[in-house]
Amino acid sequence: MYSLITLLFVVPVLISLLLLIVPRSLAKPLVITTALLLSAISVYLFIDTEGVYYFGVPAYVNDIVTVADIILLVFFGWIAIKKRSWIVGLMSLLQLAGLLYLLNSMPAHHSLQFMVDKLSLFMFLLINIISGIIAVYSLRYIDEEHCSSFRKKYFLSTIFWFIAVMNLVVSSDNLEYFFLFFELTTLASFLLIGFRKDEVSVKNSLTALWMNQIGGLAILAAIFFIHHNDYGDATFSNLLANAKAETILLPLALLSIAALIKGAQMPFSKWLLGAMVAPTPVSALLHSSTMVKIAPFIILRLSPALKDTPVANVIIALTGFVFIAAAIGALSQDNFKRILAHSTIALLALMIMMAAVGTPVTIVASLILVLFHGISKSMLFLNAGILEKVFHLKQSSDMDRLGESGPFTALVITIGFMSLLLPPFGAFIGKWMSIESLGALATDKKILGALIMVAVAGGGAVLSLLYFKVMGLLIARTGNEDKIHFEKTGPFYTITTYLLLGLLLVTVVGLPLLLNNYFTPVATQITGTTVALVTEGWTMYLGAVKLPLLPMIIAFLLLPVTMVAAMFVRFKNVDRAKEYMCGEKVNYSFSSFYFSTDRATPYFATAGILFFVALIIVALI
Amino acid sequence: MKLASYRKKSPWILHYNAGGCNGCDIEILACLSPKYDIERFGMINTGNPKQSDILLVTGPVTKRSRERLVEIYAQIPEPKVVIACGACASTGGVFRGMYNCEGGIDQYIPVDVYVCGCGTRPEQIIDGVVQALAILETKTKELEESVRLNKEALKEESQLNRRNIADEIKPAFI
Amino acid sequence: MLLILLAPVIGGLVYGFERIIKARMQRRIGPPLLQPFYDFFKLADKRKMIVHSAHAFLGIMHFVSLWFALGVLLLGGDLILVIFLHLLSTALLILAAYSTRSIFSHLGANRTAISILAYEPVLIIIAVSIFMLTGSFDAAAAFQSEQPLLFKMPLAFIALLLVLPIKLKKSPFDVAEAHQELTGGVELEFSGIFYEAIYTAKWLDYVFCYALVYLFAGNDVLLGAGLIVFTFFYLNALDNSTARVSYKQMLRFSLTVSFSLAFINLLINSLT
Repeated sequence: MYSLITLLFVVPVLISLLLLIVPRSLAKPLVITTALLLSAISVYLFIDTEGVYYFGVPAYVNDIVTVADIILLVFFGWIAIKKRSWIVGLMSLLQLAGLLYLLNSMPAHHSLQFMVDKLSLFMFLLINIISGIIAVYSLRYIDEEHCSSFRKKYFLSTIFWFIAVMNLVVSSDNLEYFFLFFELTTLASFLLIGFRKDEVSVKNSLTALWMNQIGGLAILAAIFFIHHNDYGDATFSNLLANAKAETILLPLALLSIAALIKGAQMPFSKWLLGAMVAPTPVSALLHSSTMVKIAPFIILRLSPALKDTPVANVIIALTGFVFIAAAIGALSQDNFKRILAHSTIALLALMIMMAAVGTPVTIVASLILVLFHGISKSMLFLNAGILEKVFHLKQSSDMDRLGESGPFTALVITIGFMSLLLPPFGAFIGKWMSIESLGALATDKKILGALIMVAVAGGGAVLSLLYFKVMGLLIARTGNEDKIHFEKTGPFYTITTYLLLGLLLVTVVGLPLLLNNYFTPVATQITGTTVALVTEGWTMYLGAVKLPLLPMIIAFLLLPVTMVAAMFVRFKNVDRAKEYMCGEKVNYSFSSFYFSTDRATPYFATAGILFFVALIIVALI
Repeated sequence: MKLASYRKKSPWILHYNAGGCNGCDIEILACLSPKYDIERFGMINTGNPKQSDILLVTGPVTKRSRERLVEIYAQIPEPKVVIACGACASTGGVFRGMYNCEGGIDQYIPVDVYVCGCGTRPEQIIDGVVQALAILETKTKELEESVRLNKEALKEESQLNRRNIADEIKPAFI
Repeated sequence: MLLILLAPVIGGLVYGFERIIKARMQRRIGPPLLQPFYDFFKLADKRKMIVHSAHAFLGIMHFVSLWFALGVLLLGGDLILVIFLHLLSTALLILAAYSTRSIFSHLGANRTAISILAYEPVLIIIAVSIFMLTGSFDAAAAFQSEQPLLFKMPLAFIALLLVLPIKLKKSPFDVAEAHQELTGGVELEFSGIFYEAIYTAKWLDYVFCYALVYLFAGNDVLLGAGLIVFTFFYLNALDNSTARVSYKQMLRFSLTVSFSLAFINLLINSLT
């Protein structure tokens, strides 16, 4: 067991080093086998493990970690000098100072540094499978980038050591180790965003760097407060054990701030939006499926301690606001990847909110959202990459011919959007449960609950509108040709897309099974109370939340299947006529509507700030 | 239940001005007003050829409007009737022989009822429509041969493609 | 259950009655009561003509999914699900309109999308208010509540009345189907039996909206009938007497006035 977990840490690092040296022809099979190996290990671990495993590492690893920490921070400082960015420099100095102070004043560790529980195994599954698919995809993608062949190897290699770091992040218990791995993900993000080396990329990578460094600083401050108040070793388990202590809220709040920054919640959302200039596998991997999922992961880890505290209420208020604000912000975007980024921020807000509420049902909702959002968003981003490389399309207003020239990609993007939206796909169920379970919150904190319910439901409606707006562009077709010819994009692109589609289908069809064997055990372990899934006739009960199955099944047949069928349906023996243009014979090409929010923005901003302040006040009452 | 008998209970009108002086148009719109009220027969003025049965045309066909007239005619699904309202639509009226007009609309599309008058009265129009309804009941759903459409509707597999049938017309006068 | 199956018929009768009332308000005679059904049979008898298959198919599915949403509402299902299904059926219509390359269709689809933004929030707040009062999101709870919800949610009812014209595309908020501007907007490219699907969907929309109004009456059948009759005359009077406003004005009005009314109601409900 331990050996398998260690494999998950070590194998990606080895492969990353190997990729720098081997020639291209060897790289392909290497990447594919590694992806398969990592996925297989994580699946086996999840199925076969019960209970929580703690394990420690020999003492010299502690020293290695400390040295690595310091080297990393010095490297950040060097970047600051090289790129002349005073704020990165300031952050690095503060972090270095904090780290050295802590190293001096911290007592020796007594507890074990790594903890692998069901939540970690769940995250392993998500990380390894999705990263594997994306790594295979980037084999082809990076071939078409304009850069030296060494940089291409460097790209693949960075992706792999990033996978290792993610595996380490979700299994660390010790907060100092967690800090190192957190900062390493920041480093990966910085390097990969700046990959293309043009001015915009460099600027955005620096923004990502200093914003995430604030998160690192927050973690250091949390460690400081834990020691200052004598809670023992700075570990997650210790925090949870001391959940009833008086001043425990401060470290919890600081860790939550780190989570909110990593999850690009407002006011820290600028870095994620700017990160979209990176190559698409980066956006798919870091900024939608794995790295930003550290945010709900932290809150999930801390949720037994956070539940029903003022910190949780503030988090709920903040993320509720972000959900609807990001959804509205997305309406005015034209760049396809930016639309996806806004939608990521919105859904992350929902995941964090669910984790902060902390009842068993909401935890299940959060987990469902994490998994399904990971699959759907990575599929959407991979197709955005296909759009970029094969069709040379970045702005969604240019995509109005895609229904004819690239029907398969249009279909996949449509399915991807629908999977975030429609029943019975998991993300919808996640949103669904969030509304239902917020009802539970609303009984004792009425105003907050009511406002949050409105924000969630309203944000859901706005997001639906957004997705339908983009889908509308993809579906436009002249009536000239009725037959659909699916286009061919290379095998790597098609196979990875099919894999993700297949995953989506399997998870949807197997949702009841998944709920029972997958999500509820994780939730049970986190919250400590049993969560059971009971089926009565045509309704499923999860805790007190009712899931009416029959309407959902019919809705599935009506809506997603309709969308897919619309592409293939053919009415025979029916005339085809021209569109009505008042008799004119000209062909118009028309794009979609832009909710240009320039003049309305001050309006929205004031309304938003008022709403937000009101929420915070209400949360603290 | 003979579906054909329902055609006369709910005829929807499309009104097109092929270049006239607007006199007949005003009279047609007066039909919809409370004094003459053709909605009691179930008639609605749709603006859309795809959803109408009766094409009311006013004005003589000008060189500008002949293609549009034919295009709109082609977009109305069968069974349909065409009513030429006013002297101009029937024969050219006061504009007959002018350099830009081509006479009545029957040069281009088959007409079922001619309503005369220069500035036809609403009573005459209603009378004409009622007669057209009787004709409508007897019509089939086959494509009528238009006098001057150059192109045939293309037969593709099992469907008829009528997207381009109005693309070319044989002008009556050059 | 019978109500669901007969919903198109009932909707048709309501629509026919509405045309008569509209005509009488304009001092005309108006069509016979069964006119919508005559239209139905006539449209069934036209030669079939479509622009392309996806467009026609999505139009039909719009009708089917709207019927399904109505069914869920009448059977007492979860209100958020109902609102969502209604949103999705309208979205199917919007997608159908986007899928052709016709300007009027596109403009109509854009405007319909904007009008969704105008009425959705109010409906959601009403659903949440019902939750706060009855403890469950089910419409069944609202239909069976002992005390009519109207007395506790008067402001929400007013907000609903202000938002119904947008949903039903009546003046002053019928910018989505501005007949003189857009010749029907989203309904433009449908013809014959396919248009019949859209036409019947409009009837179903009437039943849907009146069912929403009936939610406020709870157990009291007389009050429910009274509310429906009142809403009917109110909608027609409003339709006949007002002019169309632009979509920006509609959005602004809806988000400031109707939304605020519903919101204040929600706050009052959550404080008591």
